[in-house]
Amino acid sequence: MRIIGVYNIKGGVGKTATAVNLAFLSAQEGHRTLIWDLDPQAAATFYLRVKPKIKGGSRKMFRGKRELDGLIKGTDFENLDLLPAEFSYRNMDLMLSERKKPARQLLRLLRPLSEQFDNVILDCPPNISLVSENIFRAADALLIPTIPGTLSIRAYHQLLDYLRENKVRGVDLMPFFSMVDRDKHLQAEVMQDMTASNPEMLSARIPYDGDVEKMGIHRAPVGEFAPQTNAWEAYRALWAEVVQRLK
Amino acid sequence: MSTNAPEFRLSGAHALAGIESALKSEFRLEEESETRFDHVYYDSFDWRLYQAGAYLRREFEKDRRHLIMSGLGDDSPKESVAFTGDMPRFYWDFPESVLKENISDILDIRALLPLFELRGVSRSFRMLDDARKTVLRVQLKQGSTYDAQGRMGTHVDGIVRLVPVRGYEKFLRKVSRFLTAEMELVAVTGSLFDELLASIGKVPSDYSSKLDFWFTPDMYSEAVARHIHLHLLDTIESNIPGTRDDLDSEFLHDLRVAVRRTRSALTQIKGVFPEDVVERFKPRLGWLGQITGPTRDMHVYLLAFEEYRDSLPERYRRDLDPLHRFLLVHQRTEHEKMVKQMESEEFLQTLADWRSYLVSPDPGASALPNTRSAVSETAGKRIYKIYSRVLDEGLAITDESPPESLHELRKNCKKLRYLIEFYRSIYPEKDVKPAIRALKILLDNLGLFQDLEVQALKLQEFAHQMGKEGEVPPDTLLAMGMLVDGLMKRQHQARHRFGQRFALFADKENRDHFKRMFSQGKVKQAA
Ligand SMILES: Nc1ncnc2c1ncn2[C@@H]1O[C@H](COP(=O)(O)OP(=O)(O)OP(=O)(O)O)[C@@H](O)[C@H]1O
Ligand SMILES: [Mg+2]
Repeated sequence: MRIIGVYNIKGGVGKTATAVNLAFLSAQEGHRTLIWDLDPQAAATFYLRVKPKIKGGSRKMFRGKRELDGLIKGTDFENLDLLPAEFSYRNMDLMLSERKKPARQLLRLLRPLSEQFDNVILDCPPNISLVSENIFRAADALLIPTIPGTLSIRAYHQLLDYLRENKVRGVDLMPFFSMVDRDKHLQAEVMQDMTASNPEMLSARIPYDGDVEKMGIHRAPVGEFAPQTNAWEAYRALWAEVVQRLK
Repeated sequence: MSTNAPEFRLSGAHALAGIESALKSEFRLEEESETRFDHVYYDSFDWRLYQAGAYLRREFEKDRRHLIMSGLGDDSPKESVAFTGDMPRFYWDFPESVLKENISDILDIRALLPLFELRGVSRSFRMLDDARKTVLRVQLKQGSTYDAQGRMGTHVDGIVRLVPVRGYEKFLRKVSRFLTAEMELVAVTGSLFDELLASIGKVPSDYSSKLDFWFTPDMYSEAVARHIHLHLLDTIESNIPGTRDDLDSEFLHDLRVAVRRTRSALTQIKGVFPEDVVERFKPRLGWLGQITGPTRDMHVYLLAFEEYRDSLPERYRRDLDPLHRFLLVHQRTEHEKMVKQMESEEFLQTLADWRSYLVSPDPGASALPNTRSAVSETAGKRIYKIYSRVLDEGLAITDESPPESLHELRKNCKKLRYLIEFYRSIYPEKDVKPAIRALKILLDNLGLFQDLEVQALKLQEFAHQMGKEGEVPPDTLLAMGMLVDGLMKRQHQARHRFGQRFALFADKENRDHFKRMFSQGKVKQAA
């Protein structure tokens, strides 16, 4: 079982869009795929037409009284299951801090699923918190959607500093450019600079594209309602590169 | 995914349309698609998937091509992968996927061949809840089976299939209950696959390269011998089409093993066929082995090529490319030559004559000593005789003995192995197993010793042949020389290990075991 986190300190950079689309691609290839919506905003859960849980049960979960297994929901697609968001995830930081080894709780919870799934994709809330530290420690790879701009570069360096200071190792960092706007010349320069100084940067790029926005209308991955489009082509290329890197 | 998808068969009284309207009046169904489906089911010639409890089918639906592996027990899909282009024949043709990983272990070097086709129409409905979330899929299917030649097998009246969505199983239970209680449909238990196979007259596992006889100790020796030979002849003949069309290399391999076993049986089973019959068929059957040898050699080198290449340090590997091309070209020309021979009068007549001899009574045989004696008496005697020969020859081998003495020993070991395998079923299985295992350890060593020598010599021969056919880069010859060197080193190691292997085979425990079984005739007791 491979665990792939989709993360950025910044919000609104395309994390959820990436998580949902890549999970769908993984499932299409025949990999048993689980997407875990860790964001109480429940955007991924919404895209996949599942109702988020209202009643808080996550404290029980962290105490080991409730297993993840029973919470999993099938989506409308073969091979793709979802662990829906819960509103109680708002307090996840607090609940984690009550545990022993607070930074390793996610990994502990995921381990029993390793027989059931080939790929687990985590859609993460923004910010650095105990939740994100759990994600860093659980994930084999961290996909970091990055909107080309000076602020994003700073955010990425902030993340690198954090990982170094907290001695998080063994996670493959895969930043890539997201919401790329071809008409913005400034972006092109930023991308060149950032690629030059960060060789780990993936070469696949996700364009700024109306078809991605339509996910909210269709409540489905782009590939389901617009498979013959630039946007979908870009997600496919991104997934192919991620798979290659994971080998 | 983890829960299975129950199916319900329509009996004559129901029409699919009736079921559809009943379901629609009861539940919120939205038609997802109506597709003509075209499913081709595959397995290897020797039913490897079936033996592993699975089957594979290729689905064409709209413009999507999928390969799906399912469990035999309940038809539940286990793995699937989309593909483009031609249908993969070998596991290495599959797109990278979980399915590929799983199927590589099962198929190994065998090709996938079509078993039958199921064509028809499938209509798929999503059942929605209040939030328009899909909570169950309902499929209504109708179709017919066709065999590999396109002849129609049977009509599949109608199937209602419910595919649950994880976490929403209560809807599955609801609809199942409705179908059984209100509509009085019957749930299909077990797999449809066997039924579909039967509809086009296919019997699963009707071919295996393993010998699996059911003789009893009191059977006549001659009847047993004829049975063995007829089985081997069937094996030879059933592998001819796949060999001719070069579907995969195992057809030729199995064919040659059956020829070798036939020749061994013909000379080793004594006193059941008249001497002149044996003398007449020996060279003709031997010829079958000869004409198929060169193509097999090419297969062996092509199968081993990657291993050869990877045994060299990285920077010499590309130097072997000309050898690879040479092997490919010669495999093709040798194959063409072999096919010509296989289509010749002589080939066909040999098999026809042999069969006609085996199926008609031979008045000359009744005068022979062993025809009417029980197989329990003749088998053990013969086995023990060859066993003693193996022991004597092996004990005489010292570190100074020439390679030929080991080759000779291998020949007799093989005879012994074939004999035990032919007669295996008259002995208690728990006694046969250790005997075969002991023999196998020795045979593996002797086989390796000889095969490595043959391979080294062959490579030398290829080098000369390549030189005759055109320019060969000196680097290629050097790399081939390194291969030869590696083979000879390994051969040397095999020779070194012989003494210890033989000592294991000839230890007191084994000797007593062989004696008890074959000299004192410890056969199965009649039930
Ligand atoms: N490539 C894109 N082109 C155009 N719009 C996009 C693209 N990717 C995402 N969007 C839109 O941008 C908004 C934010 O995207 P998304 O929810 O994926 O980001 P996020 O990083 O998960 O946000 P949050 O931090 O709030 O979780 C959404 O409305 C989405 O439809
Ligand atoms: Mg999000």
